[in-house]
Amino acid sequence: MSADVSDLSLVRRVQSGDKGAFDALVLKYQHKVTKLVMRYVRNPAEAEDIAQEAFIKAYRALAQFRGDSAFYTWLYRIAINTAKNAVVSRDRSPVDYDLDTQNSDESYELQGRMKDAETPEGLVLTDEIRTTVNAAMDALPEDLRTAIVLRELEGLSYEEIAASMDCPVGTVRSRIFRAREAIDRRLREVFEGGLGRAEELG
Amino acid sequence: MNEELDSQLSAMFDDELPQAECELLALRLSRDRALQARWGRYAAIGAAVRGGDIRLGGMVAYEVSSALASEPLLADARERPMQPTGLTLARWWRPMAGAALAASVAALSILWLQQNSLPASAPLVARSTAPSAAPVEAPASYVVPRALEARAMRMPATELANYVVAHSQFSTPVSRGSLLSALMASESAAVGAPEQAAGAAGDPDHHADDSP
Repeated sequence: MSADVSDLSLVRRVQSGDKGAFDALVLKYQHKVTKLVMRYVRNPAEAEDIAQEAFIKAYRALAQFRGDSAFYTWLYRIAINTAKNAVVSRDRSPVDYDLDTQNSDESYELQGRMKDAETPEGLVLTDEIRTTVNAAMDALPEDLRTAIVLRELEGLSYEEIAASMDCPVGTVRSRIFRAREAIDRRLREVFEGGLGRAEELG
Repeated sequence: MNEELDSQLSAMFDDELPQAECELLALRLSRDRALQARWGRYAAIGAAVRGGDIRLGGMVAYEVSSALASEPLLADARERPMQPTGLTLARWWRPMAGAALAASVAALSILWLQQNSLPASAPLVARSTAPSAAPVEAPASYVVPRALEARAMRMPATELANYVVAHSQFSTPVSRGSLLSALMASESAAVGAPEQAAGAAGDPDHHADDSP
């Protein structure tokens, strides 16, 4: 499977004048981009503002995107530049962390610093969601849990997961889908309307 | 909701759906808000599994969509340079029209200068200066076309200079400068022999081989 096919399908739709496809791209990457921006600013509300600005800049520049790099790589650069510019213009010092760090200790410490600036309501909601997802994960059959963990935590492709679990790629696809559906069902039970904000779009 | 469709959506989210299916699902995803909501929850689940902060960014999609509501569609912005408007065409034709005008002015001025720099009695035939041992036949004379000659002579130097200045945006500074210099030189020469020039212009039957 060629990389970035799904993002490119959406990008092409946006380039042909379909704004709804851009909503899908934002929904997919909003968490990643906001988390990325949080490496530069401490205030979560400010991080959301910068993430929004980055997405808006990306939309305006998308006509020039030719697919030479993956869409997220391109979006990542826009988000980093937007965050840097925001920090400079607002005369605030960035959080001093290496952008490319993959060190789990540093990530843990970074998350701890993020939490310090968050509102209690935000923390409660975050913790509730995480607790719900973790509980739903624990309730999954072993094969579904392994498949979703290998996909979401380890970032393995379906083919790699299939090799790892010694099963066909189609089975991996089915397991990941069923795992997501089970977690999603549980989330909707707990947060009816809370996470489904995308339904309000448009 | 169709389970096969949701399964495809999950695979598309992981970039594991064949391209042809991706294209079709992307079309549906861009229009189906319920499908988008599910897509967004898949993203939130992934963020939660990775230990990310789900509250953060929860409003980003909504805010971005609202902010972009008044933005023009990208297709409009992309098509603009591909479909030349009248203005674009005008931009294309301006230099070409300018070059054509400059060439016309140059041709007219050359003809005019030829008429004014030579005395009316002088032949318009180039004389051979190379020594020739063998007798050669007389060179064929050139008859200046009457209409061209008359048109060239009706263009006074001042009017021509004004024309060149007025259309200076269409010519290069070098060619403009040399043309104006030539005009000034020819005008001074013409002051010395106005009668000859007027006589030549006024004689419709003037031919180059009329002079002795």
